[in-house]
Amino acid sequence: MGTTDLKPNDPAIDPATGEYRVIAPGQTFRSITEKIAGIVLTPTTPLGWLALFGVAGAGATMLLVAVTWLFLKGTGIWAVTQPVAWGFAIINFVWWIGIGHAGTLISAILLLFKQGWRNSINRFAEAMTIFAVVCAGMFPLIHTGRPWLAYWMLPVPLTMNVWPQFRSPLMWDVFAVSTYATISVVFWYIGMVPDFGTMRDRSQNKVAQYLYGLASLGWRGSVRHWMRYETASLLLAGLATPLVLSVHTVISFDFAVAILPGWHTTIFPPYFVAGAIYSGFAMVLTLAIPLRKFYHLEALVTERHIDNMGKVLLATGFIVAYGYGMEIFMSWYSASHWEAFMMWNRMFGPMGWSYLVLVTCNLAIPLTTLWSRKLRTSISYMFFISILVNTGMWFERFVIIVTSLYRDFLPSSWGTYRATKWDYMTYVGTLGLFTALFLLFVRFLPMIPMSEIRMMLPGAKITAKTTAEAGD
Amino acid sequence: MSNHENGPMSEKSKKQSTPMTLVQVREQLKGVKGKRYWKSVDELADTAEFQAAVEREFPHAAQEWVDPVSRRGFMKLMGASLALAGLAGCTKQPDEPIYAYVKQPEDLILGKPMYFATAHPFVTGAVPLLVKSDQFRPIKIDGNPEHPYNQGSSDPFTQGTLLDLYDPDRSQHVTYRGENREWAEFAQELRLKVAGTKDGTGIYFLSSTITSPTLARQWKAVQAAYPKATLVQYDPAIAGTSVANGTSVQYSLADADVIVSLDADFLSGASYPGFHKLVGDYAARRKDPEKLNRLYAIESTPTTTGLKAEHRLGLRASEIPAFAAELAKAVGANGAEGTGYNWTDEQKKFLAALAKDLKAHAGKSAVIPGLYQDPSVEVLALAINTALGNVSKTVLVPHEPAIPLPSDQIADFKALVADMNAGKVDWLVILNANPIYSAPADLEFAAAFDKAKMVAHLGSHLDETGQISHWHIPAAHYLESWSDARAYDGTVSIVQPLIDPLYGGRTAHHVFQTLLNEPMVSPYDAVRETWKSTIKGDFETGWRKALHQGWVDGTAFDKAAKASVDAGFKGAVPAPSPKDALEIIFRPDPNVYDGRWSNVGWLQELPKPVTSLSWDNAALVSGATLTKLNLEEDDIVELSVNGRSPRRVKAPVIVVPGHPDNSVTVHLGYGREFAGRVGSGAGFNAYLIRTTDAPFYATGSIKKLDGKWGLAVTKSHFQDHRPKLFGGQGNGNNSLEADEAIGERGIIRYATLDEFKANPGFANEGETHPKTDRDNTLFPNWEYKDNAWGMSIDMNSCTGCNACIVSCYAENNIAVVGKQQVRIGRNMQWLRIDTYFEGDLSAPRAHFQPMACQHCENAPCEQVCPVGATVHTPEGLNMMAYNRCVGTRYCSNNCPYKVRRFNFLLYSDYETESLKLLRNPDVSVRSRGVMEKCSYCVQRISAAKIEADKDNRAIQDGEIVTACQQACPASAITFGNINDKQSRVAKLQADGRSYQVLADLNTRPRTKYVAAVLNLNDELAEAPVEHLPAKG
Repeated sequence: MGTTDLKPNDPAIDPATGEYRVIAPGQTFRSITEKIAGIVLTPTTPLGWLALFGVAGAGATMLLVAVTWLFLKGTGIWAVTQPVAWGFAIINFVWWIGIGHAGTLISAILLLFKQGWRNSINRFAEAMTIFAVVCAGMFPLIHTGRPWLAYWMLPVPLTMNVWPQFRSPLMWDVFAVSTYATISVVFWYIGMVPDFGTMRDRSQNKVAQYLYGLASLGWRGSVRHWMRYETASLLLAGLATPLVLSVHTVISFDFAVAILPGWHTTIFPPYFVAGAIYSGFAMVLTLAIPLRKFYHLEALVTERHIDNMGKVLLATGFIVAYGYGMEIFMSWYSASHWEAFMMWNRMFGPMGWSYLVLVTCNLAIPLTTLWSRKLRTSISYMFFISILVNTGMWFERFVIIVTSLYRDFLPSSWGTYRATKWDYMTYVGTLGLFTALFLLFVRFLPMIPMSEIRMMLPGAKITAKTTAEAGD
Repeated sequence: MSNHENGPMSEKSKKQSTPMTLVQVREQLKGVKGKRYWKSVDELADTAEFQAAVEREFPHAAQEWVDPVSRRGFMKLMGASLALAGLAGCTKQPDEPIYAYVKQPEDLILGKPMYFATAHPFVTGAVPLLVKSDQFRPIKIDGNPEHPYNQGSSDPFTQGTLLDLYDPDRSQHVTYRGENREWAEFAQELRLKVAGTKDGTGIYFLSSTITSPTLARQWKAVQAAYPKATLVQYDPAIAGTSVANGTSVQYSLADADVIVSLDADFLSGASYPGFHKLVGDYAARRKDPEKLNRLYAIESTPTTTGLKAEHRLGLRASEIPAFAAELAKAVGANGAEGTGYNWTDEQKKFLAALAKDLKAHAGKSAVIPGLYQDPSVEVLALAINTALGNVSKTVLVPHEPAIPLPSDQIADFKALVADMNAGKVDWLVILNANPIYSAPADLEFAAAFDKAKMVAHLGSHLDETGQISHWHIPAAHYLESWSDARAYDGTVSIVQPLIDPLYGGRTAHHVFQTLLNEPMVSPYDAVRETWKSTIKGDFETGWRKALHQGWVDGTAFDKAAKASVDAGFKGAVPAPSPKDALEIIFRPDPNVYDGRWSNVGWLQELPKPVTSLSWDNAALVSGATLTKLNLEEDDIVELSVNGRSPRRVKAPVIVVPGHPDNSVTVHLGYGREFAGRVGSGAGFNAYLIRTTDAPFYATGSIKKLDGKWGLAVTKSHFQDHRPKLFGGQGNGNNSLEADEAIGERGIIRYATLDEFKANPGFANEGETHPKTDRDNTLFPNWEYKDNAWGMSIDMNSCTGCNACIVSCYAENNIAVVGKQQVRIGRNMQWLRIDTYFEGDLSAPRAHFQPMACQHCENAPCEQVCPVGATVHTPEGLNMMAYNRCVGTRYCSNNCPYKVRRFNFLLYSDYETESLKLLRNPDVSVRSRGVMEKCSYCVQRISAAKIEADKDNRAIQDGEIVTACQQACPASAITFGNINDKQSRVAKLQADGRSYQVLADLNTRPRTKYVAAVLNLNDELAEAPVEHLPAKG
């Protein structure tokens, strides 16, 4: 799509490419550092932050209440039953893990592909990943009937001398998710080290100086530091890249390995990964749009970012659509009655409404409209789309889990699923926990990597000539 | 009694009972004195104000009370106040340290159970039993395998009586106006009173039907001493039937090629006399397709009997006598005349084909009349049987009735009420009956009750009647007391107690003996006395033998029973009610019978045959009637019966395929106020609209009320037969479920006899999965060296009676979860009977499929458990290690049979003392968060293996019997070693009709089903129903 529909004199547009600039014109090293560090180092906490934190904290408290009651009474307070023995907990688990994927993709794969625009969003996208994994990781634990024994799923040498059952995909989940969480945290932290140095140096507060100093690991910005930093980043990016693909692949095995129609399918791994990235980018948008608005970061997170993320949504959305299409095709092509019935029932059975929500939110609206650059660069529309896709992806997991289970092989065992208030409280509670953690991150850590943004300014470009002049 | 006693009493009794009511109630009761007070509690409880007060005070409790799980929580909260009120005194161990046996009792080997023969004295005939006792606690009831009548089988009621024994809500004290007394005080007062009357004037006994010959003997002695004392027997479920008046005829179906049921539900439960034997004989003929019998059913409400029948005709209850008369005429029975009723063409065709078939099988057929029909049906059936020459072949007319004191119970009861109203009743002694709850509505029994001067109630619970009687005496359970009873075939069994009365209960034997010259003669001595003359030879030897084997020799009815009977039909059959009149049919409940087992959680939670409804009764209607009345399932309706003073009751409505139109079936036994923690408040009380002149069916009306009832139905039951094209879910012929089950899924496979003869391998036709014995995977199959356990279930024999499920409850310590949990699908039964209705909603065929863990060779559950809590044993069992289970429920999701059950909450009751005695010590009680499922009764397998190991031999075929197999009256379940090619199970599994459910998934289940073969009458065979072979 051309640039004809854009204002030709817009300074935010790079005349060379016709694209929005990654960083708005007029930014300097100093302005960037002051802008980003200033958000953290200001002694006054914005009222809006406090209000939002109050709401999110209330949500997290609700989660605590819901989980406490769950531990006291048992999983029976949820709607899980026969035949739908997995419900909100696993839906939420897959949803949150999926959301995390965008952060890793941005920080690892886009780094390797030298996509400079990622720098503006990678820090908070990674933070999002970690908090999403925190929320996700909770569910497999609390959804068990006896959570106090969930450590039996870990391969630890106990006196019982019994090992986990390594053929179970749930066992693989334990490894996949724990690896993912570890790498994500390390990557996030390493990326922040130079910025911790900056924060340490700019901080006026003794305690903050001390803490940032501790976190900066003695960062002095020497060339040697930078060299090691870059090497470490690349290595971690290399390590994290397969995780983007593997984690959701393994999670999809939870379903694909089972024999249940609607679960037992080979398309799940790629389809889950694409879906994860789809929902993850939607969540990045959901977070980025209010952030740039409230913290006036329009210069750093520009329309270019929104536009690019829209393109990623479009691409992954189509992979997801292909997955849905293939499921329908295969239910016919397999000539398997189980598959055919499952698909018919999924679309037109008593819970067919959920499939309709899924198709509307994930396919019908985003995939038809995101072709338009005008809409892709419309901030409010993109926010709307991001919420839509998040909803749609939640329903995708609902459709996969619930509509496959509620009418399976023996018609005598068909049932239904009706979520309880505790299900909703737990789900909304994790949203609260996630938001609260994210708000703390925004308040106490630099949400955009200053060092990397600075490097993207024209002034940071070191030409061959200047290299020679430096004589080093 | 006299008034002066009432004054001081009321103060105490009021104080004692107030906590059970509310502040408002206390206010209301202030100043109420004496007997009036006792009445008023009950009256008050009936008022809307009182119920509103309960709801106001405990809005949640009202709901919780019917839900045992949350109710337990409520009990904990309320425990203190209830205990203070002296309502529920609890047994408690002494404070001082107590020690286990220093010297072991002679008979006891810890861990080794003992078995005692006894009998369940039931009104339709005693069920001979062999009861397992562990450390002197009865823990499992099963039929007596050596008894000629039931040969080891049992039924849901009998199985449920075990929990009834340990029911924590049984009454525990003799009380007089709420105060604890001693039995001796009651006995003295009664004895003095009766002696004071000289001839027994004013002394009345109201008893449930007396089944004990000894009790009858004792009563006759009482009557001799006090000729004016009156005994009234009244059993709401059988009053007015041939069972009560002693005219019932017996059937022997082993030689019957054609069986006709005229509204006789003889296949679904012990409420039909001779159930065990009738099912056994019927099912024996279903095993071999060469010997198939043919069952016709004409019935007014769908039962498993009708749905098992080859040909079923649904008629309204009042049409059945006319149909019987037409049939009698068609087969040329003596005295039978046509009715000129306007039959439809379909009905005429059925009648003609049936009559023709009967005549073709004269002497080899049996026509069985329904219990709950007009007496003419009984006479007509005997006339038909006589005309066909069936009498003394398949039909036996015994010389004597099975119950010792047959009577016209309805007339007697009416006379009693008249006497009560006339003030003639000084003492009314109620023996094991609950007339306040179950008396016919038109008699206004509660009002008459007030006029009796003194009422004593012997009962197992402080029930509706016990609550307002002056005296209450806890009754002993049959496992706690000596008695005797006769089975269907006349054999006398001694009812032998296995445990001392838990709460010092007494029996009717004690009450009658109290009035005799030797009041201290125990029931034991009385029973011995009765049989002194019958037992030949040395009495002690004979007595020991009778106790040991479970019956008294030589007491069976004479087999050469009356060959020629006066079986002519005289008079006219009652005319059917107009076709547009709404009929209301009353039947005892298949689970709780007349309400006596309301507080047995197993029976409450058990899905009823046909409807799969648990925890409630309902107004059962046909789909067409539902549509006509513009109702939906679960709607609340108001039922009323026409009569002198119309009465009403609120009921939920539910559709039953095959129910006649313009007809409503209601089951008795629900809507109890004082049943106990389990049964109180469940369902609605159909006795409120049942009258003496129409005890089995009446005309009435139905009216829609607002709101939904909230029924708990355990299977999905979309009755939607509309094709998908028109927004429905079926194919226009079957409902979606049946469509799926019988269609390509191949879950239910059956053939007609002709189809079977043409293609004996029909059950496995089109099976696409590889043969299970082929090693076609990378991983070699496990080699089973010795034993490989397997099960075979005969779909042709199973009648869906549910005995297996209750047996499984008892054997495997399965928890009862309560109505709310059942509603959302969390019932814990390890075994269920899947019921699929096929064909037209108004005239369906049904298939009953017992479904429990299939013990798959390639078990999908095992692979996905992250902690290895479900594993395969070297003998091929799929086992749960409860201790290892963390509760991810992945196994359940991956189980295609959905037979795994999860403890979503803490369902097992760890606190109630009496229930601790109930548990099978060989099976873990599962706590919350743990998956469980059928284990093929692994504890029984282990026990047999230990025995075999001690003898250094292999386990013999038939040595291991699973709990479900043991209970099954149809012998539909066979268990054994499939490695042993000579075993019964291996032979059955090798049969061409054996198929595996969902075999194409390659789960390789160990349980195989033997496909049904139907012996259809060609003249009535409808267009062949298409049932495709299974496809992958």
